[in-house]
Amino acid sequence: MNLTGKSAQQTLLYGAFCVAILLVPLFLDDAFLLNKYSRYLVFAMLAVALSLSWGYAGILNLGQATTFGLGSYCMAMALKLGTVPVHTGSDGLPDFMVWNNVTELPWFWAPFHSMAFALMAGILVPAAFAALLGWFMFRGRITGVYAAIITLAAMVVVNLVIIDQQRFTGGFNGITDLAQFEVAGLAFDAYSSSTYYLVAFCLSAVLLLSLAITRSKTGMILQAIRDQEDRVRFFGYDVALYKIFVFAVSAGIAGLAGMLYTIVMEFASPTFLGVPLSLSVVIWVAVGGRQSLLGAAIGALIVTGVQGALSESETFLESWMLIMGGLFVLVVLFLPKGIAGAFEMLAALFLRRSAAKVPSVSQPAGEAITHGEGAS
Amino acid sequence: MNSESNSQLALCDVSVSFGGFVAVSGLDLAVDRGELRCLIGPNGAGKTTALDLICGKTRVSGGEIRFEGRPIHELKEYEIARAGIGRKFQVPSVFRELTVRENLQIGRSHHTGVFANLVRFGGSTDDNEVERLAELVGLSDALEMAAAHLSHGQTQWLEIALILAQDPALILMDEPTAGMTGQETHKTAELFNRLRGQHTLIVVEHDMGFVRDIAETISVMHQGKLLAEGTLDEVSSDQRVREAYLGSGGIGHA
Ligand SMILES: Nc1ncnc2c1ncn2[C@@H]1O[C@H](COP(=O)(O)OP(=O)(O)OP(=O)(O)O)[C@@H](O)[C@H]1O
Ligand SMILES: [Mg+2]
Repeated sequence: MNLTGKSAQQTLLYGAFCVAILLVPLFLDDAFLLNKYSRYLVFAMLAVALSLSWGYAGILNLGQATTFGLGSYCMAMALKLGTVPVHTGSDGLPDFMVWNNVTELPWFWAPFHSMAFALMAGILVPAAFAALLGWFMFRGRITGVYAAIITLAAMVVVNLVIIDQQRFTGGFNGITDLAQFEVAGLAFDAYSSSTYYLVAFCLSAVLLLSLAITRSKTGMILQAIRDQEDRVRFFGYDVALYKIFVFAVSAGIAGLAGMLYTIVMEFASPTFLGVPLSLSVVIWVAVGGRQSLLGAAIGALIVTGVQGALSESETFLESWMLIMGGLFVLVVLFLPKGIAGAFEMLAALFLRRSAAKVPSVSQPAGEAITHGEGAS
Repeated sequence: MNSESNSQLALCDVSVSFGGFVAVSGLDLAVDRGELRCLIGPNGAGKTTALDLICGKTRVSGGEIRFEGRPIHELKEYEIARAGIGRKFQVPSVFRELTVRENLQIGRSHHTGVFANLVRFGGSTDDNEVERLAELVGLSDALEMAAAHLSHGQTQWLEIALILAQDPALILMDEPTAGMTGQETHKTAELFNRLRGQHTLIVVEHDMGFVRDIAETISVMHQGKLLAEGTLDEVSSDQRVREAYLGSGGIGHA
């Protein structure tokens, strides 16, 4: 029953994290900071997405930002149409379309008049994109570095298409001047606790859902695939299907993160599908510990937090990238399992030490008590 | 051939070559349901390759493999496994980062669907079966241990237990006792004798003592072909078998 004890502790730890992030606005009344922290939480969600595919199934996705960007554009399209007819031309078109001489709303924009559609699309479009890409890669047994390169290449392609199709996507400028996100009569101002709560709540839900997936038999099979893919097939599991599944789930989560990012940042831009962001996610997850969902989330919070602090401080204005790079190298060299791995090691050490103390229970009562008093 | 139509597994004129090198050529092999067949032969005879062909790891370049009357040589690995064929590899291959318990749960692959397994969290019937198997191979105390920390013999047993968890009609065992101590080998022979009849077994083995303990029919392979078939006494007195083993110091030392 050691196992249930361990998984109960894990659940408790995840729960504590969720409660902690949900409590932050009670102690913080600074709209600017809340907005910044919302952004960090979105990054944490992106890290959880990568931890699922990389940490649990061994699929290194260097293009995680692709699906993040697709989600953010879905939200931006809906919010842009929400501004019509304020920022609009004669025919109720978004402003940038008018500037680009588009005369009529493109067919794929039309359904985004419905926020419900946009919310679904923001998750399903990235998931479908990943499933399709995964279908080609995993049916063809492309693994490891080659799969990583393909994800990177796919991102560059999507990015170029978005920049190129300026008439429909806003091109380099992205989609700006958005309406406020509103759902069921609630408005989410990016600089308010409501948006922070929205992000924190979604992150909590994603964390717990992902935890459930990793604990299911499917999650276990994914870890077996990470460990030794070729062996898993001979038990009758369709390895490609399992990988496509986790790849798509990871993409759906990244899409949700992208939608939230648009709400927090109040725009969508091709940089959201950029190589720098995508590689940053890999760093966050490596630092936090890729085989721990919570570790990955905390890794994202720490790295982006430190990065934010360093880049804002005057002394480190020039050198913060160097410092971050150095920190990353140190972590990878000395903590191969990241912060989560180090934490587990400490916990195991602590447990062993407290287990070693158990025999003192069998000592005479008086002695045990004085022992206890001495310790405190 | 008449015998093949009744057999559970039949290889007919199976060949494979690797970049010009013919590893298996014109191999015919028929195994009946419930039989325990030993497959022996000198190093490089093509025994492992023959098992690879049956379980779909390697594709045949010619010939046909039928299992329970249906051709399987064009099925995918997981389809062959689902049809009821399990494989133990020559180099023991288990999931080293997972615990023994988790390994066994993966072995229990009666449900193979992604979504079916998404709502499974190790039910009690699974747990009972896992514990029964762990006891069978003497790993009860190691259930929560990562497989990476097992000894070589224990790893072999874990892989055998994985196959039993899978519960296939036909089990392919590639050198199950390699690296085991004499006592461990003896226990393995006992285990195989108990499996006799419940599963069809094809056992590739170099340890002739072990073969003697378990063998009914023995098939001898040499240079990718079936050289002889019969009881231990029959094949070991066969002149061609003696010649085949000449280079490797006799049948007992191969
Ligand atoms: N993938 C491969 N590519 C090239 N040659 C191969 C490959 N697999 C096997 N061979 C060759 O085919 C021959 C048969 O190999 P196989 O492993 O089947 O022999 P074996 O009977 O299992 O021998 P052992 O008793 O040493 O395990 C060997 O000469 C081997 O070098
Ligand atoms: Mg071999």
